[in-house]
Amino acid sequence: MKGRVINGGNASGEALVLDVPFSFIGDFDPETGNITILNHPLFGKSLANKILVCPTGKGGTIAPFIAYQAKKKGNAPAAILCKKVEPILCESALAIDIPILDSLSEDPVEHIKTGQFISIENDEVSVGE
Amino acid sequence: MTMILTKEEEAMASGKHGPGIAKCMSILKKFGEALGAEKMVKLSSAHTMPKEPPELLKEMTEGVNQTGTFTTLHALMSAFDPHLWRKMGISEGFASKELPLHEQRLAIYRRLGFYETYTCLPMLVGNLPRRGDFISWIGSCAQLFVNSLLGARTNRDGGVVNLAAAMTGRAPYRGLFLDENRYGQVLVELDGLDPYQLTYTDLGAIGYYVGGKAQDRNVVINGLPKELDMSQLLGLMAPLPASGSVCLCHMVGLTPEASSLEEAFGHRKATEVIKVGKEAISETKALHALHQHEKIDMVVLGCPHCTIQELKKIASFLDGKKIGDGRRLWIGSPYQLYYLAQTMGYSQMIENAGGVISSSCMATIPDSPIPDDVKIIATNSFKASHYISRLTKGRVKVVVQEMDECIHSILS
Repeated sequence: MKGRVINGGNASGEALVLDVPFSFIGDFDPETGNITILNHPLFGKSLANKILVCPTGKGGTIAPFIAYQAKKKGNAPAAILCKKVEPILCESALAIDIPILDSLSEDPVEHIKTGQFISIENDEVSVGE
Repeated sequence: MTMILTKEEEAMASGKHGPGIAKCMSILKKFGEALGAEKMVKLSSAHTMPKEPPELLKEMTEGVNQTGTFTTLHALMSAFDPHLWRKMGISEGFASKELPLHEQRLAIYRRLGFYETYTCLPMLVGNLPRRGDFISWIGSCAQLFVNSLLGARTNRDGGVVNLAAAMTGRAPYRGLFLDENRYGQVLVELDGLDPYQLTYTDLGAIGYYVGGKAQDRNVVINGLPKELDMSQLLGLMAPLPASGSVCLCHMVGLTPEASSLEEAFGHRKATEVIKVGKEAISETKALHALHQHEKIDMVVLGCPHCTIQELKKIASFLDGKKIGDGRRLWIGSPYQLYYLAQTMGYSQMIENAGGVISSSCMATIPDSPIPDDVKIIATNSFKASHYISRLTKGRVKVVVQEMDECIHSILS
């Protein structure tokens, strides 16, 4: 599928598909790279070097600083694919210079399954096994 | 769509002003384009948060000798005051992690000429925008107050865009910079309440209730009396971006973009009407109520930071008295107001009683260093109660009471 490039580049890795809006503050622990959304099936799952797929982002002024801390520890995702970007999520990706795309030709949350191998080359997203 | 940059902005992006500015411009340009901004605008001021990872701060300021616009610093975060942490009862362990980070940041702030205001209310201590000024300010209270009470224009930028804006003196022309995005969306009306009888915590409860309902929409409150003073207006508004994410709250007859209901809504209809009555206030207060036999260990005041009038009030409640053994009293207010309060005699009254006045964030955002022996905190701020209870993962119970009740509960 193709998408709108907000921050370009190449990245590849396993997809982690989240069905709710995501923020690096509140939903994530930079020390471990794990998702910390309470009572969610993905609680405790690692985002480190994964391709994060989510519908959109949400607030938290400090989220981009948290994303940076995670990146320094090797715990940040490798790229973000979302349905529609939101300012803080966008800023978080820019802070750590990872690819972030939205407005994809298919809804990524519907079409991609956790564990599938994703390859991103600027505006082209390939979904493998 | 690509943003159109001026010659000066192109020069910044190209690296002519060093790698730090180039990185900042790159972030602002990509961010702006993602949000459909056609251009950048020059900023009259910035207000940044002293919580950047030092390495990121170094990267974004490499080769920079001076902030790109008049820039003030937000309250010291996590309630960590580098001079007063011991007096506040914050642990040695917490301090040993925070102090080196603070030192690294401070070296950069001093090199670049950041104004060391350390407050969430920079308008009280020298950063006073005009109506219509484009600014990039951090801190949900500061953003809300400056947009609503002064008619200046800031977006809800996150830490990185805000820092990039402060370095370059530019921000993308988007969001609340545009007239069309500043009109009210949700109308709030008081229902069966006498607005002249509302206490400070009644007002905070209204703000907290409305924030939860309004979420991120622009609010218009109708029916508030002109007699409400600045402290009351701040108390009403502060919880709006805690329970919700409101960054613009017009008050008909009180704020510059709302001389009439029609002006506040841009002659459009409200998308929703929220009625606030006695039940809304009592239900909200019930979320943070003290139960029988519960004892208060600590009081937190000054969220948002206290004005000089509020410091006077606190001093009057403490004059000649002492807080109980093992009890704590934290009061947030900028260092500059501490010195004015000292001239007026208030600081001494407060300190003699056992209180600590600190230029740090009383909501303790983001790492709450509340001492381990504290079980119940009393505050008059619904914003502080919202954050402290969550940030301590429920370990600390926070109750909301009027300022005099809070203080009275910890006197010996």
